[in-house]
This record gives sequence, structure tokens and C-alpha cells, in this order.
Amino acid sequence: MNFKYIGKNVDRPDAIKKAIGKAVFIDDIKLPGMLYAAILYPEYAHAKIISIDISEAKKSEGVVKIVTGKGCDFRFGDNVQDRLPMAVDRVLYIGEPVAAVLAENPNQAKTALKKIKVKYEPLPVIVDAMDALKKDAVLLHPDSGNYWHLPGIGPEAGTNIGDHYCCKKGDIEKGFQESDHTFEGEFVYPWGSSAALEPHGAIAQFHEDNTIEIWSSTICPFVVREDIARKYKVPIGDVRVHVPEVGGCFGYKSDVTIEQTVAWIAHFVPGRPVKWMCSRKEDFLSSLLGHGIRTKFKVGVKKDGKFVALQAAIYHSTGAYVDTGLHIMRGATHNCTGAYEFPYCYLDGYSIYTNTTPVGAYRGYGHQESQFGIERMIDIIARKLNIDSFKLREMNYLGPGKYTALGELLWESNGSVKQCSDIIKKKLFSGSKPKEDDKYYYGRGFSALMKSPKGAPFSSKSCFLKFNVDGSVCINMAGAEVGQGLRTVVRQIAAETLKISPERIRVYTEIDTQFSPWEWQTIGSMFTIQGGRAVIRACEKAIQKLKETASQALRVDTDMLEYAGDEIFLKHDPSIKIEIGRLVHGYMYPDGITVGEVIQSTSDARLPRYCNPDKNGQGSMGVTYTFGAQACEIRIEKATGRTIVDHFASCFDIGRVINPKQIRGQVNGGVMMAIGATLCEEIKFDKNGKCLNPFFSKYRFPNIKDAPKKYTVEFIETPEHIGPFGARGIGEHPVIGVAPSILNAIYDAIGVDFFEIPVTPEKIKKTLEGK
Amino acid sequence: MAQKISITVNGIKRTVEIDGWEKLVDVLRDKLGLTGTKKGCDDLSCGACTVIVDGEAKKSCSMPAIKADGTTILTIEGLSKGKTIHPIQKALIEAGAVQCGYCTPGIVLELYALFTKNIDATQEEITNALAKHLCRCTGYEAIFEGAILAQRYMKGNK
Repeated sequence: MNFKYIGKNVDRPDAIKKAIGKAVFIDDIKLPGMLYAAILYPEYAHAKIISIDISEAKKSEGVVKIVTGKGCDFRFGDNVQDRLPMAVDRVLYIGEPVAAVLAENPNQAKTALKKIKVKYEPLPVIVDAMDALKKDAVLLHPDSGNYWHLPGIGPEAGTNIGDHYCCKKGDIEKGFQESDHTFEGEFVYPWGSSAALEPHGAIAQFHEDNTIEIWSSTICPFVVREDIARKYKVPIGDVRVHVPEVGGCFGYKSDVTIEQTVAWIAHFVPGRPVKWMCSRKEDFLSSLLGHGIRTKFKVGVKKDGKFVALQAAIYHSTGAYVDTGLHIMRGATHNCTGAYEFPYCYLDGYSIYTNTTPVGAYRGYGHQESQFGIERMIDIIARKLNIDSFKLREMNYLGPGKYTALGELLWESNGSVKQCSDIIKKKLFSGSKPKEDDKYYYGRGFSALMKSPKGAPFSSKSCFLKFNVDGSVCINMAGAEVGQGLRTVVRQIAAETLKISPERIRVYTEIDTQFSPWEWQTIGSMFTIQGGRAVIRACEKAIQKLKETASQALRVDTDMLEYAGDEIFLKHDPSIKIEIGRLVHGYMYPDGITVGEVIQSTSDARLPRYCNPDKNGQGSMGVTYTFGAQACEIRIEKATGRTIVDHFASCFDIGRVINPKQIRGQVNGGVMMAIGATLCEEIKFDKNGKCLNPFFSKYRFPNIKDAPKKYTVEFIETPEHIGPFGARGIGEHPVIGVAPSILNAIYDAIGVDFFEIPVTPEKIKKTLEGK
Repeated sequence: MAQKISITVNGIKRTVEIDGWEKLVDVLRDKLGLTGTKKGCDDLSCGACTVIVDGEAKKSCSMPAIKADGTTILTIEGLSKGKTIHPIQKALIEAGAVQCGYCTPGIVLELYALFTKNIDATQEEITNALAKHLCRCTGYEAIFEGAILAQRYMKGNK
């Protein structure tokens, strides 16, 4: 197919404003009369609040109000309403808001905060899911059975289980009977932070006329709007949510994060806007963390290496509240097969309450956590069966005619993991690796991967489009631009469909629920697929309307007309034509009488037939899969144990490349982020639930010196029926195969299997010394 | 306690009343409205708050405002002139180094300080300068390429 704008490096419409410092982020917004909040956190990760004394704090300079959770009679949440805007009588984790000071400036608020005195009665603390499952474990949510939840999900009353999901494909016992060998393994993907460079922040204002206005660094303004409206009992339309530029997301600005807390504080001072910007420490501990997943596998295999059965148990230390974490566990559970077919599956996942910061979305959403395990298992199985690891993978890859764990039949159009794998194999494994020398061990490692979107059946995205009389077009959507470049994608897709240049398409820059079309949330790498499809639909509707007016102007049936971007002409006689501008606000006859609709359109698009799980945990929850392969060449420095990633290669069956430069940036950024998770990043809590490293100086976040010297990024383009021009998503995919490929490479280099990340230099050094 | 400092910011002399504890970043952002300088951490790790003080790239989140008294400061707002963006900005945009954009102003100014002092900075020196900055979006490849391109543009402009 020949495209004019798809597949081209069209410029990012927001780049200049960002580069000159004029892009407006949440912390750049200052409203008249704005108050600043400072929040008090508990000394214990689990405790009863006995008393809060605010008498001294109240007298502090500039203090307008001191707020606690006393009197809060609601819990909120999108999936399970187990969350509180502020602790009422108990604290469940170290980042839980206990009280807040509102003052005229941030420093006055912080000064007064130190004068609040809280008495606690400490309770036993649970940090790890496995301890929360013990019989004598303290119950973190004694009333969990009463919490509102969506049908089919939610807590098991009387336990610390916040959600349980089981996906069954065939009879697992039979599967193991048919197997010649079984292999077991246990893997840990610990807590990390999405750690966008811009911390969370929000402003809330309860207006005197009962309307509520929120500004937030969020990617789901419509979810926030509905949640706030529900809790403060106002019509949804009376809550207005603004999203300024978002300085990176990577997952943890989805769902409701800090907005309910800021709203709670602000509702005590109607008329005054209240701002709360997280410090980095607060961003780590009081927003959402990622991962915290332990995976246990039992794999049944035939003598020749054919996979038969997969039994998995996923234990998710989901933190103090399960609302934002449970779907990550579910994603980790049904995607744990990776890119392989297992005729028999029994995949069991648990999200378990712990006295730690709640886990929420993190780029990859469960995929990397469990596929890390399966990809490591495959290398180990290949070794034990003495089969080439590529051969073992190739005989088990999913592909046309195969069924996923969810029971979804795959087609050609779902793409080819084999082709991705072949490209990566050829690039990195054709020759031999460098030989060990005085300073380094060398290794190479591989991983295939599968990504399904994680959505909801109703997760639509919409588009408002209007033509201008000069033939230019304005497009308004509600996809949150977090750096992934969706504004460029909208421009390119619209340009291609409307046959006009991208510069003539003005793409919305900010989201405001009062004006933006409805969108569920910008999550799951689905904007290009769904949003792009919505753009095409809106363009096609507009073209149809243009033709209808043109048919009156040119006095001919609409099916005789051809749309060409700047004009509409008669198919059999192109000399009979009319320019678009003359149709946009209706066509005016010489006598002034005007006919035809104003050319504007609305549309939406969802994942077709996406459904809830059935009694076996199966159903159409993947819909549009993406397959890929990743591999690396590493060096391990003998003196320090440091792992250096020299070359990282990725190949995805992306369906259609919309913007090569942007897509390369997405892949490299994702790979780098996951290298961080694999080699250095971890949020650590001690046994008392206190965080040991909530600062960038102690949470090792990779800098340019940690980046691979070389990135290889390749794409296969097997068009997909659902996405625009065949495109699939890419945002999250690059993180999935990184940890297993690096750990497989570490084994290749030093002959040691690691089952847990991060594999720090200290860990390797210790292992080398013990050898 | 309130004190006064005099600073020249983006070529304009300003006298600002500050509290003794205030950091330069807060004076620039809150008192002078120069919000292009960003805050990403509080412990000198991320570099988003980098500005140029007397020709040196400094992390303004850790610099007491009082110490800036009498200095000449360049923030991101002072680098581009109306519709004419600086070659460093142009280069970073072209290289695809601008994604969410939160780290960009700091990186632009870091490179400006580096290339102003030494337009022939080696690749190692460029990497060392960029290593003072964190970016979560790009994986650094495009930032490095943008820096090399910026150097080329600035040499051509000389």
C-alpha cells in the first residue's frame, strides 16, 4: 500500500513548546486565591489512630485550615471501592495521608504540619503477600466483604485476598499425565516506580455553585470526573477535569491516584482552589507503585520439547488497597504463557493486601512480571532436555490456528512471533560471542513476548472533528499525551484519510472534560488502535457529509462523487468539481439560499467483542495481540560484577509503522526503563513497612551511561484488521522481554541462573566470589 | 526572614524579596513566573531544574536563592527569541529527543553551558554532561544524537 503520510517522520506538534519551556504542566498552574496543602504521613505502616492534636498547628502562621479523615463516610475505587481519601481511624501503609494543612504558601503548610501530634497504637505489619496468606495473619480489611465491587471480582471476606482470578484451559491433571517431564520455577519481579520525571500533582476547587473543578496530571480525566461526582453527589457534568501537559506517565497516572485526597482536602474550603504537588518521596510512597509479583510455574513437556501443560500461581503483593492492582494480577495471570501455546493451563492469580503503597499500572501491566518467568523457564528447560533453545521456542510458538490460554483462536492477522524471532536470531546469534578476557565475561540472551491490550468491554475512545472554511481541520480527542506522541499519530492518520497535509490539521492540546469527547482512559497501548480508528471513522463521516452537500451543489448523486482532499469532483468528468471550503458551512447558491450540514462529525471506537471472563476465566480479553522478540549482548565486569548491556535488539510485529522516529523513541525508552528494573531499580520496604529508598539518589534510575551502546529496532508489518491502516500498539511492549533476555544472557556469561530482579553488581559479585 | 537579592535574569535586572530558606528554583518559578524550569526531585538527581548561573549549569533546586545574589542567570525562557528557537532546541526536536518534555529545558541549558564553554567538547564530555540529567522517556539515544547535532549546528553558526 502506498501512503503519503503514514510511515513518515511527521513532526511532533507539541515539541517546540516543550523545548522552549512554555508547555504548561500541573505545577505551572497558579490560580487566584490558591491554597497549598501539605500532608502528614504516619510513623507506622499499620496502626490505629488514637488521637490527632491540631491545636498548636492551627496557630501557625498562614494556616487556613487543618483537615483529617474524621467524618469521611465513603470509600472510592473503580474496581473495588476499598480506598479512602484520608485515613479515618487506621493507617494501612506508610504513605497514607493522615492529616493535611492548608496554608497561603507551601512553606507555611509544611511548617505547621510538624506541629500536629498524632497518637497511634501500632498493629502487626505485613509486607509480603506470602505472609498475608498465613492462617494467623492480621486482617488488613476486616470489612472487605462489604466493599462495593464490579461483578465477578473483589475481595474474599475474612482473608487478605483482595481478588482471585483463575484461568483454566482443559484439564490440567490430564495435561501433566500426558507430559514426559515437569519443571518448576519461582520468580520475583519486585516493586518499582514508574517514576515519571514529573511527579503527581493536582488542584481541586469546590465552587460556590456546587460545581467541582479538578486539574490533574492524570491520563484518565473521565474516570476521575465520575468518581468525584459519585462521592460528592453532584451530576457528573458538574465536575470538570482539566489535564495539562503530562510529564511522563508509564502507568502510574492512570486510575484515580491522588485526586480524591486533594478533593477531600479542598471540600473543606469551598471557593478556594487547593493545590498539592508531590515531592519525589510522596510520588514514590503516596501515589502508586508497580509490580510486586511472585510467580510459581510448573511446566509439563513432551520428550521432544513440545509444551503440554502450564500451571501457574501468581502472588501479587498489591499493597494497602486492591482497586488499582487487581487487573495487573489478572493480566499477569492470563498472559503468563508468553508467546507459546500450552494445550492445558491452570493459571491462578491472587492480589493480596499488604501494608505497603498500593500497586497500580506500570508500563507492561503484568506482562513482563510473569513472562519474565516463562522465558527464563524455557532457557532452563532447553538446557535440561539438551535441545537448542530457539528450536524449543519455535516448536511451541503461538500462531495461526493456535489457541491462547484465554481460548482465543489466532489468525494470520494477529502477527508472527516466528518472523520477529528469526530476525533477532539472525542479528545477534549468527556468529559467536566474544571470548572471556581479563576484564569481562560475555553473554547473549533471548526472549520472545506476547502483549494483549488490557481494557474493559466499554473502553471506547472518541473523536470530534470539524472542517474550517479554508479546508483545514480541527480534531479534538481526549487521549492523554504523555510523551508517547499520540498527537502526531492523530495528525498523520487524519491527514492520510482526509488527503490533506498534516500541517493543516490542528490537533487538540489539552483535555477538558467540559469540551473533550469521552474517553475511558489512555491506557493499555490502545490509543493508536482505538483512537486511530475513531479518527478514521470521524474523517469518513465528514467526507460523506461533504459529498452530500456537493451532490446538491453539483446536482448529482453522492456515489458519483470523488473526494480529493481540497475538492470534490465528478468521477466520470473531473472538470466538474467544487472546492471543499465552499461546502464546509453549507453550499450557498447564487441567490444566497444555503443548503447542507455544517461539516463536523463525531465518532468512537472500542475493541470489538472484548468481554468479561467466563466461569473458566476465559473469553475475548486479548482481541488484538502483538508478538515480538528481544535479545541482548552483555558484558559482566569481573572486578565489580556490573552488567553492561552493549546491544539491545527488539523486533515487533507492529502491523503498520505510523511514525518511525516516534516508534523508535518508544521502543528505546521502554527498553531502558526495563533495563533499570532488571539491573538496579527496586523499592524496598523493611519488615516494619518503612520504605528504605524513596529518593532518586537511592532508587537507582538509569542515566545515559547505563544506556546500551547500540539499540536495534526492527518491525514486521502484518496488518491487523482492527487498528488504523493495520497498526497495533507499541507503548508498553518494549519492556516485556528485557528482564528475561538479560538474565538469560547472564547465565550465558557466567553460568548462574537468577530468578529474581534486580540483578545488581553486588549480587553478581557475591555469586562470582562463591564460585 | 525576608531579604532582598538582585539578580539579572535573561538580561533583565530583578530585585526579589526572598525568605532565607528559599531555593533558587522556587524564586524563579513562583516569584518570577519562569515556570520553564522544572522540579523532578529534591536531591540533585534529575537535572530538570538546571539553569545557567554566571555561565555554569547549576541545579537550582539545591541552590539557596541567597547565594544567587548578584549573579547573572539564564533560564530556558531566555534562550529562544520569539519565534526563533535556539539551534540546541532545533537539534533536540529533530533528533526526536523531546517526548514528554519535562527534562528538556534542563538538558537544553546543560548543553548550552557545555558548548558555550567548549564547542569542541568530545563525545565523552557530552555524555558526562548529559549524565547529570534523568529522562524516563527516550532511552537516551535520541538525546545523545540531538546533542551531537546541536554541536554541529552551533559550529555552523559561529
